[in-house]
Parts: sequence; structure tokens; C-alpha cells
Amino acid sequence: MSILSEPQEREGALTPERLNMTLFVSGASPASARAVRRLRDLCDRHCPSGYDLKVIDIYQEPAVVASRGVLAVPTLIKELPLPVRVLIGDFTDEPRVLAALGLSVAKEH
Amino acid sequence: MVTNRDVDDLGERPGSQLFKTPTGIAGFDEITGGGVPAGRPTLVCGPAGAGKSLFAMQFLVNGINRYAEPGVFLVFEENRADLVADVRALSFDLDGLERDGRLLVDALTLDSQMVETGEYNLEALIVRLAWAVEKIGAKRVVIDNVEALFSAFSGPALIRSELRRLFRWLKDRELTTVITGERGEGRLTRHGLEEYLSDCVVVLDDRVIQDVATRRLRVMKYRGSTHGRNEYPFLIGANGFEVLPITSLGLNQRVSAERVSTGVAGLDEMLGGQGVFRGSAVLVNGTSGTGKTTIGAAFADAACRGGEKVLFFSFEESESEIFRNMESVGLDMRGWAEQGLLHFHCERPTTRGLEDHLATMQRRIQEVNPTLVVIDPVTSLARGASLFDVSTLLMRQIYYLKAAGITVVMTVLNAEGGAERQTLLNISSLVDTSLDLVMLESLGERNRGLYVLKSRGMAHSNQIREFVLSDDGVAVVPVVIGAEGVLTGSARVAEQSAERATAMGLTAESEELARALEQRKESVDAHVAAMRADFLAEEKLAQRLIAASERRQEALLLDWQAQARRRTVKPTGNYSPRVEPTEKE
Repeated sequence: MSILSEPQEREGALTPERLNMTLFVSGASPASARAVRRLRDLCDRHCPSGYDLKVIDIYQEPAVVASRGVLAVPTLIKELPLPVRVLIGDFTDEPRVLAALGLSVAKEH
Repeated sequence: MVTNRDVDDLGERPGSQLFKTPTGIAGFDEITGGGVPAGRPTLVCGPAGAGKSLFAMQFLVNGINRYAEPGVFLVFEENRADLVADVRALSFDLDGLERDGRLLVDALTLDSQMVETGEYNLEALIVRLAWAVEKIGAKRVVIDNVEALFSAFSGPALIRSELRRLFRWLKDRELTTVITGERGEGRLTRHGLEEYLSDCVVVLDDRVIQDVATRRLRVMKYRGSTHGRNEYPFLIGANGFEVLPITSLGLNQRVSAERVSTGVAGLDEMLGGQGVFRGSAVLVNGTSGTGKTTIGAAFADAACRGGEKVLFFSFEESESEIFRNMESVGLDMRGWAEQGLLHFHCERPTTRGLEDHLATMQRRIQEVNPTLVVIDPVTSLARGASLFDVSTLLMRQIYYLKAAGITVVMTVLNAEGGAERQTLLNISSLVDTSLDLVMLESLGERNRGLYVLKSRGMAHSNQIREFVLSDDGVAVVPVVIGAEGVLTGSARVAEQSAERATAMGLTAESEELARALEQRKESVDAHVAAMRADFLAEEKLAQRLIAASERRQEALLLDWQAQARRRTVKPTGNYSPRVEPTEKE
């Protein structure tokens, strides 16, 4: 993983890669809706260059849940830019979310 | 959707009848009276490497293959490829079962790099499981090492409540589940899963006793059912997980009235003249050098002569040593081996644990399919393991052999004090014939003696006989009892020649008597002849005298008549000398 990710990161430094994420939530529960809203809000504020977010209802696509190895909800998988990071929880700890998504650094500079 | 509130009603549904689901694991279904509770979770716990995963996997694969119940295997931690490789060694074809849609293995990789950003729950776990169960119509589920969740997620309280929710869901779906958990400090599992999984708790153990690993299984809890409460030894062999419940052995094996020769003519004679029963267990006890191996070899020789297959387990001597040693007493083991009738399995007992040995023995027995098995010596298996363990495992082995109608000859190496005889006594209930080889010391010699300690179902000799090993072969020599008891060796030979001499002495005396009698008869006959001769002589003399006297009377009469003629003219009437007085008138 590290061998692959290194050149990718260097490239990313030249042309910043678009944030690509998949979020797994549990159906239409209020908690899920809150988590989705919180993540979108956070990304809108810290990622002005834009991002792709795919939201998956675990009850609708259980096969994907299994294939992606998801156990908890909400689970956010940041696929790009590499490295892949897995975040669980409802995004209330904003600094940790930003750090994991590689956004906090961008903001501070 | 399942909520946490449901968990609070975790009560037993009253009136629901307890059904059991067979695991197909040899022995386990016997001690639990049918298997694990149907439609409920069972906790299998124990230390790492105790065989929990194997138990679980076997429960699942047996369910698929034998009971047509598809199964889902949910595995944490372990890499799926490793799991497949582990069980392939036990001839489970997981890939094949998965292709057939009867098995679904879901490996849950827990990412330690996960970032926790707030509240979450493990609903996705249940969704995944539900999806897998529906996909293949599973009736059985295994969750292997569910406690791995505690190390992957930070909130133990949350994990606990989520697990309760999971278990509740499994019960609602009436899935027969085996959940494994690793042993914790002072409790059955690290995180106290036993609090939530109380229907059936199975504890596995893997203790090292005297450098040899001994595996044990115990059904600690079984709600609403009786079950064997003992600790049962189990082994992981070629056929997988096998529990050895001695106490649940049935007594319904078929018995044979057919007899097989011991290969020692004099010994057959001691055992009612026909040897031992086919399919019986024979124990040959003796101290070092009493000829135990030779007895085993003689049994083998007799069976091979009849064209039967023999499997000889030797734990002290190599094949070539046995060939050489038995050749010296006239038993051609090499010949039988070359003909493919005699098979050897020689192994140092210390190389592996007891369970491994027994598993190997069973596999070899299945391969060779013999009618006679010799285990020489059975006490070697005890090295390292406790004698209790040996006895219990041996009982299982003997039972297995008896059920298969295979005659088994086991030699027991007794310490000079004979202490081990005592401890092996608990297998004696399964032993049909017990032979004791003893050293008889007298007159500066040690000679081998043999007696039948017991032999069920047949008349047998109560004598101690001498067991003679010579170039000509193996023989049990008829007993010679002298003034000082059983005589052996040169004392026996001396006594025998003395007896021969005595017998010969008796013959001479009687011949002499006969001769004397003959002579006496001759002398009596001679005497009789002499007396007869005397008698004849006397008789002749008497007859001569009588004749002479008659002639004289005649002459007198003639004289008298002549005188009368001269006196009178005519004599009248008959003449009689009695008329003489008339003459005086």
C-alpha cells in the first residue's frame, strides 16, 4: 500500500485530487439523516474544490456492505486521494474528521 | 428493524420445547444427548489454539453435508485464506461448498486504522449477517471469535449492547449458532459473553501435563437439558474434532463365538484348547524380558497363517529389530510382512502426544483393515500423559476395535513392583483375556512362567506354566510340579529325567515280579507234575496188588472146589465161598 501511495501523493501535491468518498448509513433513521447532513456541511466548508460523496443505505445494498467490510454505521470510506481511510461515527468530532480526510492541513495553510 | 429495546425482553420463551441440533462431532452429540440447542446460540470458549474454530467449522460443515442445513461462517481476525487452508487439512472443501451455495464465509477484517468521529452502532454487522443467511437459506451460523470486536472498537459498553442485540436477532431468527470466545482472566471469556449466552456453554481446554498437551472438553451449562458433566478428553485427528466420552459407551457391540489361535500351542490348550475369541481384547502383562512382544508376534503369526491381515504397533522396537528378534524364536515376521499380511507402525512414543497417537492408530487401522491389532507396549503411550488419560483413551480405542470385530493384543510393561497393573485395572473391564508373564526364580535360574489371569467366557487353566523360547519356536510347556512347587528350566528338566528314571525303575521291578511269578508257576507246575507221576506210580502199584490178590482168591476157590469134589459126589446149587460153614456141618 505504501509503495503505491507515495507517487500518488506527490502527484496530488501538483494537481490536488478530488475527494472521493462512500458513506454507509442505516436507512432513513433520524440519526443517519443527521450524520449525512453534518458530513456534507463539513465538506462544503472545508473542501471548496468540490468532492464526490456516495451515500449507501445498508438495508438497500447489503452485498456492498459485505464486500466493503463495513460493520458499523455510519461508516465513511475515503477512497481518494490515497491512502484509503475508514471513519466511523456521526462526525461530531470535527477536527478528527478533517484530519482523517486530509482537509485540516489545507485549511490551516 | 431491531432496536436496543428488544434486548430488554431477553427472556426464555416459556413452553417452547427444547429441540437439539446434531453437530455431527463424534462423541459430542452423545454427551449432550443430541447436540446443541436448536435455534439458539451456543458459546464455545477456551484458550487460543484449543480447537474452538475447528469445532465451529465442523458443526457447520457437518450441518451442510449430513443434515442439509446450509451455514454461514462469520470470521473475525482470521484471514479467510488461512481458514480455508486450515480446514482443507481435514478434507473439508470449503470452496466447493461455497460454489454450491451451501456455505458462505464472511471474513470480517477489522481495520485498526479506523478513525472514530462520533456515535455509531454495529447495525451493519447484523445487516451483513442477515443478507448472508437469506442468500443461502442458512440454518446454522458460526461467529468465530466475536470478542475481536472489543479490540477494534473503543466503547466496550456499546459493543456489549450491540452483541446483545446480535444474539437476540439470532434467537429471533431461530438460527442454531456457535459463537466462539477466548478465555479471559478468571472468567470463561475475556468480556464475559457467558452472561448473555447462557443456553449452552462448552469449555475447551488444552493443558500441558508433563510436556504433553491434553485436550479436554466440558459442557459447563445446558439450559433445560441433562448432559454429561465430566471433562472429556478430545482429539483433533484426521477426521477432525472427536470427543471421547467413555461413560457414554454403549454395550451393544456384536460379539463373536469364533476362536482365534494365540499362535502358541500350549497356550491355546490353556484357553479351553481353542485360543481367544475373535474381536476380544487380550492384555499381556509382564515385566521387562518376560516375552510379551513374542506373545504378540505369535498371535500375529497365527493370524497371518490363516491369511488374515495384522497391524502391529511397536513403540519400542523398530521393524527390523522385531524381524531379527522373532526370527530367533522361529517366527518369520519378515515373511508375513513381505506377503503384505503383516503391517508395522513403529514410532517412539515421546514424539507426539497421546491424542495424536490414537488418531494415527485409528487412521492406520482404517487403512490396513486388519483382523488383529497388536499394541506393544500399550504402557509406552502413558509416557507423559497421566495413566488416567491413557486408560480413558484406551477404553475408547478398545471399544472401537471391539465394535469393528478386530482382535486386539496389548502388552503391558509392568514395573518390577507391579504398580502399573493397579492403575491400568480400570481398562480391565473391557479386557476379555489377561495373561500374566512372570519370572520364576529358583535354583539360581530365572525362567519365564505364564498363567491366565482371567479369560471371559471360556474354561481356562489355572496353572502356572513355563513359557519356553527357543530356536524351535515358542511353547508353553506342561507344568511339572515337584516337591517344591512348579519346577522350571533345568530343575524341570532334572525333575523330568528323575521321573523318567523312576518310571523305568518301576518297570524293572514289575518285570522282575513277573519273572518271579513265572518261575513260581513253573515250579508249581513241576511240583504238580511230580505229584502226578507219584500218583500214577502208586496207582499202578495198587492195581497190580489188587490184581494179584484177585488171582490168589481165584486160586483159593479153585483149590476149594477141587477139595470139595474130592469129598462129595456132586456139589449142588451155586457155589459160594460163603457156604464154607456148610462144609463144617
